[in-house]
Amino acid sequence: MLAQREEGSMTKTSFNSGRVLSAGVLSAVLTVGLGAGLFTAGAASAEMAKGDTSGMKIGFSSSYSGSSFRQVMNRNFEETAKQAQKDGLIGGYGLVSANNNVTEQAGQIQNMVLQGYKAIVILAASDTALNGAVRDACSAGVKVVVFAGSVTEKCAYTVNYDWAQMGKAEVDYLNGRLKGKGNLLEIRGIAGDSTDKDISDGIHAAASKEPGLKFVGTVYGQWTQTVAQKEVSTILPTLPQVDGVVTQGGDGYGAAQAFSAAGRKLPIIIMGNRYDELAWWQKQHAKDGYETMSLGATPSVVEAAFWVAQQLLAGRDVPKKIEVPLLTVQQKDLDAWVKATPKGGVANAPFTRDLTSQIIDANEKGAALPAIPTPKS
Amino acid sequence: MSVAPARAARRLSLPPSAYGFIAAALLWGGTMLLSDGRGGIEMLSVALSFSIFSVAVGTGQMFVIASGPGNIDLSCPAVITLCAYVSMNLMGGADGMLPVGLIAALVLGGVIGLVNYGLVRALKIPPIIATLAASFVVTSLAMWYGGESTVRPPQALSDFMIWRVGGVQVALILALIGSGVVHLVLHRTVYGRSLLALGQNARAAQLAGIRVGFVRMTAYAVSGMMAGLCGFLLAGFTGGAALNMGEAYLMESVAVAVLGGTSVAGGRASAFGIWGAALFLSLLVTLLNSTGLGAGARYLFTGLTILVVIFFATERRK
Repeated sequence: MLAQREEGSMTKTSFNSGRVLSAGVLSAVLTVGLGAGLFTAGAASAEMAKGDTSGMKIGFSSSYSGSSFRQVMNRNFEETAKQAQKDGLIGGYGLVSANNNVTEQAGQIQNMVLQGYKAIVILAASDTALNGAVRDACSAGVKVVVFAGSVTEKCAYTVNYDWAQMGKAEVDYLNGRLKGKGNLLEIRGIAGDSTDKDISDGIHAAASKEPGLKFVGTVYGQWTQTVAQKEVSTILPTLPQVDGVVTQGGDGYGAAQAFSAAGRKLPIIIMGNRYDELAWWQKQHAKDGYETMSLGATPSVVEAAFWVAQQLLAGRDVPKKIEVPLLTVQQKDLDAWVKATPKGGVANAPFTRDLTSQIIDANEKGAALPAIPTPKS
Repeated sequence: MSVAPARAARRLSLPPSAYGFIAAALLWGGTMLLSDGRGGIEMLSVALSFSIFSVAVGTGQMFVIASGPGNIDLSCPAVITLCAYVSMNLMGGADGMLPVGLIAALVLGGVIGLVNYGLVRALKIPPIIATLAASFVVTSLAMWYGGESTVRPPQALSDFMIWRVGGVQVALILALIGSGVVHLVLHRTVYGRSLLALGQNARAAQLAGIRVGFVRMTAYAVSGMMAGLCGFLLAGFTGGAALNMGEAYLMESVAVAVLGGTSVAGGRASAFGIWGAALFLSLLVTLLNSTGLGAGARYLFTGLTILVVIFFATERRK
């Protein structure tokens, strides 16, 4: 379950190039995000650390690998780490996956410490249950970077998205398109998951300021297309006209299928960067000018975590909390993203060492996060 | 389980397979009240079209559960996923390859079912462990084989899944006919009778000359094939094979079989009862979604409602 969370969550995030977002939304996203993300930045050298890390191993402990999203993430990690090893930036790397079992993941983290890893990046199956293992790792002098989620243990560094801001960006977009008035359907992720709650809270906080927007239904799509399609299909007959659908990623295409199958007028469905969603949107746009936006996490966020770990090992003083940008796709960049996204996969864009370093800088200074470029079409 | 008291109980009350339908009808009425009578027919139609998948995988599960106490197939979700990937990849989106894809899904599912039975029989591993272990292996194969992407179905398969004649979904009619065949097999053939006899008392069945091993083996094979079929159809309906597509069907396959009147102790099965149970579960989701209750309350109601239905549907000896 937790595993899925990420996938869901991640799926939703997107990188975004400054230019991508409509001015208001984007700058809001970034500035607010950053504002919130302005954590106590250590007094830092605001540039890439060059310390010798060639003999140090970095490990990746993943909570789960049972989804396409996670499979891409694992590959991203291995490719990045392999190249880094070749470039003499690390001495080795390793990857273990825990099938969503926190006890197993805690054990794997302890093993990595014993095996001499100098830094571990963690996609955590729980925000509390790994605290012991994380603390032990820290006391053994290992740098711990938790990404796409968090743990409550203070010694860990966090690389994460601002999920509430994602919810706000969705509502802001729909509010603009619907001119402040319309019925919304909310597709949530997995009940009880913290990412699900953060996104939904962001959605409702933003929507509460818009009296014309009304939520007519809520379903839990579990960040899974088949589930979302079923849940939306089953609630549709009981709903009045739906004008907009707020989503969390991995659920937009299923929602679109459900509306089409029911013979309903298509609402504006926020997409989550999956190839299916983008391709459907492109086709629909060609047919009748349908427009929406898409945003979500990218599997490559593991690369950002990897480089943060590398920078820590190289001696850089990094803020405890690093916020990374979501990938957002707007109408004008749609074709380029469809082309750049592998068939059946999810939109992705690399977090290089340079980009990660700039992201760390931005977090230190409270400046806007650097843009992730739209692929060249 | 002795046959005579069971018969007596059945004479006194409704057959266990009826309770799913009754519960479904109550839920449907309740949802209509909540939604001011809106969309009653659409609601049923949606519930029926999604029932096709849970009925497919649930029917396979029913064969296994009916074959005797302790028999269960936990590998269904993994089989659904792997068969979907393999068949979608084989077809590569080409309409002409549909029969190949379908046969591949059925054969692969059947083979995995045989392997399951092999683990249970040859290695003497309890079915709950054996099929769970097999499911990890199958899931790993799906990850390795399907991995990073969703594989799209041929257009003809997608079109077929939503094809309606006079407002009636053709796939639904075929699925109902399939259940009719299963019903006949269970109650009118030597094989079906053997399966139920074996489920009631394996020792007695063996003494009566039934080839216990063979009958149970086919039950596992049927379960694998039905999961494979479910994966094939589901991928066609939802736009492709994806790694987590089967997850929802683990509990669902067991739930529809048991709520549909299959005895957990083995020896009793109902091909049509599964439809009642599948409708019930689907309409329960509709009802709870339309109440707008929080997730916690929804889970609570789901659990309680299932308990109530099971309470009525299960025969208890005094």
